[in-house]
Amino acid sequence: MTVKAMIDEWYPVGLLSQLDLKGRKTALMDEPIDVALDADGNARVTGGNGRTLPVRVRYGHVWASLGEPKKELFDIPEADQPGRRFVDVGVVRVRCSPLRAVENFLDIAHFPFVHTDILGAEPHTEVQNYKVEIREEEDEVWATQVKFYQPQAAKSASGGITTEYMYRVPAPTCSVLYKTCPPRPGEWDVITLFVQPLAEDLCDVWPWMALFDDESSMTDLIHFQQTIFLQDRSILENQIPRLLPLDPGMEIPTRADLTSVAYRRWLKRHNYTYGAQLVAQ
Amino acid sequence: MPVALSVDLPAGTVVPARLPAGSVALWRSASGRPAASADRCPHRGMRLSHGFVRGEALSCIYHGWSYGQAGHCLRIPAHPRLAPPETIRVTTHRVEESDGLIWIAVGNPLSQPPRLTGFAPLRSLTVLAGVAAIEAAAGAKASLEGLLELSEDARNICLLLSAQDDGETLAHVLIKGEAGPADRVAASRTAESLRRKAEGLQKKEITQ
Amino acid sequence: MKLYDYILSPSCYKVRLMASLTGVKLDIRPVDFHPGTEHRSPELLALNPAGSIPILEDGDLVLTESSAMLAYLAAKAAPEWLAGSRPEEAARVQQWLSFSGRLTASLGGARLHEMLLRPGDIGALQTQGVAALRELEAGLFEQSMRGMRFLAAERPTIADIACFPYVALAPDGGVSLDPYPTIRLWSRAVRSLDQFLEMPGIHRLHELKPEPHVEGSEA
Ligand SMILES: N[C@H](CCC(=O)N[C@@H](CS)C(=O)NCC(=O)O)C(=O)O
Ligand SMILES: [Fe+2]
Repeated sequence: MTVKAMIDEWYPVGLLSQLDLKGRKTALMDEPIDVALDADGNARVTGGNGRTLPVRVRYGHVWASLGEPKKELFDIPEADQPGRRFVDVGVVRVRCSPLRAVENFLDIAHFPFVHTDILGAEPHTEVQNYKVEIREEEDEVWATQVKFYQPQAAKSASGGITTEYMYRVPAPTCSVLYKTCPPRPGEWDVITLFVQPLAEDLCDVWPWMALFDDESSMTDLIHFQQTIFLQDRSILENQIPRLLPLDPGMEIPTRADLTSVAYRRWLKRHNYTYGAQLVAQ
Repeated sequence: MPVALSVDLPAGTVVPARLPAGSVALWRSASGRPAASADRCPHRGMRLSHGFVRGEALSCIYHGWSYGQAGHCLRIPAHPRLAPPETIRVTTHRVEESDGLIWIAVGNPLSQPPRLTGFAPLRSLTVLAGVAAIEAAAGAKASLEGLLELSEDARNICLLLSAQDDGETLAHVLIKGEAGPADRVAASRTAESLRRKAEGLQKKEITQ
Repeated sequence: MKLYDYILSPSCYKVRLMASLTGVKLDIRPVDFHPGTEHRSPELLALNPAGSIPILEDGDLVLTESSAMLAYLAAKAAPEWLAGSRPEEAARVQQWLSFSGRLTASLGGARLHEMLLRPGDIGALQTQGVAALRELEAGLFEQSMRGMRFLAAERPTIADIACFPYVALAPDGGVSLDPYPTIRLWSRAVRSLDQFLEMPGIHRLHELKPEPHVEGSEA
């Protein structure tokens, strides 16, 4: 286990809207932490030894780091775009590696089997070629021109369409996806997966969205995303091993998995191995 | 090793089964042939026992990769026009089925599974106790093959035990061939009582 | 008929499933149970002071117990889902309807704890859940000896629908279903019913559909 490289990163630790003075006890990479509002109404995160951790409040969530972040929390420009609805989906705990949770989010090939009749359906199982790169300047993994046939791409979709996706990994346990926005061609809906690593094999997942959808109720938007994520959860809790294998011999990628291949390579390069398994066991 | 009752594995289904080495995906094709493979899809590690059986193939629930009885990958839905390379396969185990029980070979046994003369399998139970505690509860010793005959008033019942690596025991309850429904219900209840007793003994031993 | 519903609630799912199986159309009113705790809002407490969902409203009838909702849907639209005239059958339906409350408390409690971070004694909840699953396994086995595939009869009844959701979702609360072969057969029988409806955590039985044929396959 290497905690070091990942210790200086930012992690989601709570929903701003749910904070109170009493605080919430949780954990970050095996260290117990406490997330609370202080008397001035600011979010405050305290580490295991009572030290105050660096904090940011952004995208509806409170973010903290156990170390000394060398970079500012990644930017999602769409978070400031007028006309979008911002959706706090709420926490879901998953008994799996935080890295497995992110990798699953980057994968479209499972849609017909896991999100049947919503994000995919047989016989539309084929994954066409798409582009993957590690953008050196931003130091992010990007996949673009990802296309997939979807029976019900979003709450706002009213029938099957071919959806286009872009995926972005700006931090080891966070991913942002952009997908075709049914009511507004030319714009992208933003759906994120913010993962709080509690332990190497346990995480709290905080999905968040910035959508163009003036029709659906907030509750409907929350429930749509919770439905999708809960379908994934039963997969994530049954992958063997729990940790993400970075040893290339352990699992077999195909062309459809190039995003995951790039993600694993990027993790390895940065020594982002908390939640990973390096050698086959 | 006896892993399941034949009736608990209908055609076209897959179930998890346990071997000392870990979990296996035990499945039966539409035509009725049983097979066993490692309970892990080599693509992304998903348990194959959560998958589904179509025709003569077992598919993973995660991405639909499917495998034949010999373990080779037949289909990768993300690439429907690609013939999967020979190198993609799951480890398989030899399966034998006799007298209503399904056996999986551990290692390379030369012989066939033992016959259950006069007995028929009734149901399978997992006991959260070791073989020793079950023997103590039954007041009898299991044979080398794991057969434990119940004494006294339960002479028509017999347990076939296999120890698991985590201290639990899989017990198949066997009953004398000619038993009717009422006898069978009674036998099931006797086995439940024995399990309760064995688990009680096991707990006591741990707390002492 | 209006159902105050949460998509991830197994108790609400009982009612959605029953409605689907019996062809009843529900007017769904989604409740922001998590993260919003809307079930404890003044509006919902006015309907159900117990602060739980589902709530089923039909005219001036307001039901807050899912078992009663199942009975109501069946009586209205599909009486064959109720107990027949045999006393044992009637008793078995009641037996398993009551038992389903224990599943909610144990397996449901474990699931809320493991998934949505609800406080609780997880060890105790899981132990009680295992005990309940063992009882169900034994009960279903005995039924199979009587030639019956379902909890109260050879056909499914509201008792099966009352027990199925929390059992099928037991793994969400860290309780494995691997050790229960008879529950597995029963669960499969329920999932194979015509007009069966899924919920997140209970995936499609893909084998019920044939494998799609691919043009130009090299295999
Ligand atoms: N009245 C019971 C209650 C079902 C139940 O426990 N519902 C849960 C949601 S799945 C609930 O509302 N819990 C309230 C709470 O946990 O605060 C029923 O209808 O079966
Ligand atoms: Fe998914």
